[in-house]
Amino acid sequence: MPTSLYRRHHAALCAAVFGIALTAAPALAEEIIIGAATAQTGGLAPYDQPALAGLRMALDELNAKGGLGGKYKVNLIIKDTRSDTAQTATVAQELIDAGAKIMITPCDADPSISAGQLTQPLGIPTLTLCGSAPVLTEAVGDVMFGTYPADNVQATAVADFAIAEGKKKVFLLTSPDATYTANLPEYFGKVFEKKGGTVVGRGTFTMGQPDFSAEITNIKGLADQPDLIMTAAYEPDFPAFIQQLRAAGVTIPVYGADAIGTPTIKGLGSLVDGVVFTAAGYAEPGSKLEAFNAAFAKHAGHAPESTYEVNGYEIGLILDEAVKTAGSDDPKAIRDAIANLKDFDGITGKITYAGTDRMPLRPVALMRYEGGEQKHVETVTPDAADVPAP
Amino acid sequence: MVSVTASETRSRPFLPAAFRNAFVDALAMVAVLVLAGLAVFLFGGAAMQRVVTYAAIMLTAVLGLQIFSGNTGIVSFGHAAFVGLGAYATGILTMPAALQRTALRDLPPFLAGHELSFFAALAVVLVLAVLIGLLTGTPLLRLSGSSMAIATLAMLIIVYTLLVASREITRGSQPFYGVPREVGLWTAVVVASIALLAARLFRETSFGLAARAAADDERGAAAVGVDHRTARLAAWVLSAVAAMAAGAMMAQFLGAFSPRDFYFDLGFTLLAMLIVGGMSSSLGAFAGVVVTIVVVEVVRRFEGGGVVLGFQLPVLFGLTQGVLAVAMILVIWRRPTGLFGDRELDLLRRSESASIAASAEPPRRAGAGHVAADHLSRRYAGVVAVDDVTLSFDTDSITGIIGPNGAGKTTLLNMLAGDVQPSAGSVSIGMPVGKASAFRFARAGIARTFQNIRIFPRMTVLENVVVAARQVEPDLAAAEAAAMRELARMGLEAFADRPAAGLAYGLRRRLEVARALALKPRFLLLDEPAAGMNAVETAELVAILAAVRAERRIGVILIEHDMRLVMNLCERVVVIDHGRVIADGTPAEAQTNPAVVAAYLGSRTARAHMDAKTD
Repeated sequence: MPTSLYRRHHAALCAAVFGIALTAAPALAEEIIIGAATAQTGGLAPYDQPALAGLRMALDELNAKGGLGGKYKVNLIIKDTRSDTAQTATVAQELIDAGAKIMITPCDADPSISAGQLTQPLGIPTLTLCGSAPVLTEAVGDVMFGTYPADNVQATAVADFAIAEGKKKVFLLTSPDATYTANLPEYFGKVFEKKGGTVVGRGTFTMGQPDFSAEITNIKGLADQPDLIMTAAYEPDFPAFIQQLRAAGVTIPVYGADAIGTPTIKGLGSLVDGVVFTAAGYAEPGSKLEAFNAAFAKHAGHAPESTYEVNGYEIGLILDEAVKTAGSDDPKAIRDAIANLKDFDGITGKITYAGTDRMPLRPVALMRYEGGEQKHVETVTPDAADVPAP
Repeated sequence: MVSVTASETRSRPFLPAAFRNAFVDALAMVAVLVLAGLAVFLFGGAAMQRVVTYAAIMLTAVLGLQIFSGNTGIVSFGHAAFVGLGAYATGILTMPAALQRTALRDLPPFLAGHELSFFAALAVVLVLAVLIGLLTGTPLLRLSGSSMAIATLAMLIIVYTLLVASREITRGSQPFYGVPREVGLWTAVVVASIALLAARLFRETSFGLAARAAADDERGAAAVGVDHRTARLAAWVLSAVAAMAAGAMMAQFLGAFSPRDFYFDLGFTLLAMLIVGGMSSSLGAFAGVVVTIVVVEVVRRFEGGGVVLGFQLPVLFGLTQGVLAVAMILVIWRRPTGLFGDRELDLLRRSESASIAASAEPPRRAGAGHVAADHLSRRYAGVVAVDDVTLSFDTDSITGIIGPNGAGKTTLLNMLAGDVQPSAGSVSIGMPVGKASAFRFARAGIARTFQNIRIFPRMTVLENVVVAARQVEPDLAAAEAAAMRELARMGLEAFADRPAAGLAYGLRRRLEVARALALKPRFLLLDEPAAGMNAVETAELVAILAAVRAERRIGVILIEHDMRLVMNLCERVVVIDHGRVIADGTPAEAQTNPAVVAAYLGSRTARAHMDAKTD
């Protein structure tokens, strides 16, 4: 078969690559290939790279202990998607040809769906590194898993918190330019209304627009003044918006989600005082996350840039647990094991897939900016029944 | 007449020579594509098949861009928008109804539940493409040159915004998913092959020729009857069709996409591929895609590290883009017009153009016609170039228009040719032409040449004349035969296959005359035909003009400073000074007219001159 020729060529190439990467583990019969179709270059690389670094650290540690489930040494093959959807599908196909039994896909919905459509008929479990659009798993089918707290889970956590604080009326600021900015505030609105709050107004912006005066005038002119503004805007829109909002004399609190947990926004100082946002985890003193951060710094030579690293590391742990449960390297058995995972003890808290549509229920850390610092408010795991449908 | 027709039919083969040549070229490219497809089908894995499928889809899109930009010379950034529209249309039409109900809950009913097969959807998309092409092209093509290019950029932004805003239909900025994946290697290869044929043949159609001529020289093209707007619109619509076909395949190839997949990145990728290969030929589009994909695929295999010829390569992600960028810079630096520039394969051009039999002389123009200027004036911001000129010219005569520099001769000629609108007065050319414009006048039998030659440098000598002949002949084969006839008359048949840019100056002048004669004009307007020619060349030109006039009985009106030529050739001389006619008569009369002498030599000298004569 000519195909086998092609495969042999690839196997040789990959063996060469991972001869270096994994300090020449002899090719055992009990080897499992994990294919990583991730963005090494392009716009998605800043998200994929930290997550992949965490995953590699977990797999290195697991291999040192005998591999996934203590039995299957991992051969991680990484291919660059160049942040391009078509290229993601192509390299995913190459990874399948190379014998991948588990697929890792980029932090974005389009390429993850494209790759998932190839793995779905073959039953290969596919995990997105940090894609958080809840529609992702539904679009592909039962092999596709999210790993990061989904947009609707984050929104539920923030909404629960706002209700608990006694907030009653919210203004939703969305942008149709990205799934995240378009939908997250709407998920918030759904939970908020269900729990007794009201949405008193909506506004939209174009990502990258410098001037928010129209939206701010709209907010000021509302007959029913909101006591909260919810948005998923991030840089550069969030700083521009809040600056102009406060300059216009509006003091209504503004809440957001994980994308504003950045040094730039922290640097805005008192301007963002009181802004509540989310994170995938918070390293409390003595917590597992703090220990991970130290271990990662030792492993990689630099501290984690975000919670994407720990998220990637947890993917490794999830896979290890799933292979242990499945007791084999059969992709379908591994898939079933992931889908039935319940209260798995990760680094950031308990992770549950059972009963979800494969976007995990997992803890969300609520944070608040205070005096130019990120202060941990609480870490919560929203009730599955409260999370709105994608 | 009857015998002429018979001999023409006998010597005329199945297709015009240019089409046969284009057809063979296209088949050669299709053969390469099909062989590549076969190779990966037999020897490649599923991944390699995906690479070739993707290459064929990109080729279709790049050919779409080439059909417009290559022929009209106007860069388009907007073709990514057509790819996107094709993709979304196909996605909606082919999506399973059950999935549509969950993924697109608010889809308008007339769009819902079609579940078409890929080819049925493609047929709908192509019809849609024609409509969208006409809709976008009609306003866009009122602009020209760089403003048109910027307008295509605006179109890209508008389409992107519409796709993002039409949430009910497109899911907005969220991923559009659930498109069945029926497009495989062979579908893509077949569609790309059809696009190759279309792109290669379009160059030779009357629209393609006209668009290329207008790209080379817009005024020159109008002077041979080319309506560049219609030609550009045709190129735009066909290019939209190809780009939307590529989009239809892309939808089913990707399975999931969002508007940003069809935005600047794709627009510039398409342009980059085309520029690398060479914008003005379908071979360039083909080569650009092949070279880009091959470079990417080869380099990509090394960026993960490995051992090559005993050397240990480091892991170097990003190498692909780096090598691609360097390759592009090299191409643009070493070959600014792309790898293949404006060259097509032209496998048969030499032999095929040699096989074109020159058609017989056109029948003599029966009866008289005339061109008349009635109180014609033209003012330019206070300067009166032509002032109340009333003149009439008959066929079967040669008239010279002379006068000092700046007298208004060329402006008068431009108005007679429909190229310049009169400020007052009117021109009648013996038949109704509707709105006065250069191309309508040309088609109505007023042919002209220019003071500074306006040939089409990037087209061959033969094509230069075929463009004109195509305006008056019923089909391309007849136009080729007529063009060959005019080339032979001007002694240029040996140069038929050469690019016109390579001709010597004197030959370019002749080419321009040959091109004008191919319009089978009633009147031939020549603006300084002998300028820059030596005495021998001038003598040859005089002989040819005299012969043409005698054989075809056309009216020749020429502006000339070479008095010997005027006196030898012309039967009537019109002298113009300061925009007014100061003399009109035989050459001898003009020579002795004191006003004429005064205009040329100044009034005092003229008086002295006259005194000397009377003495």
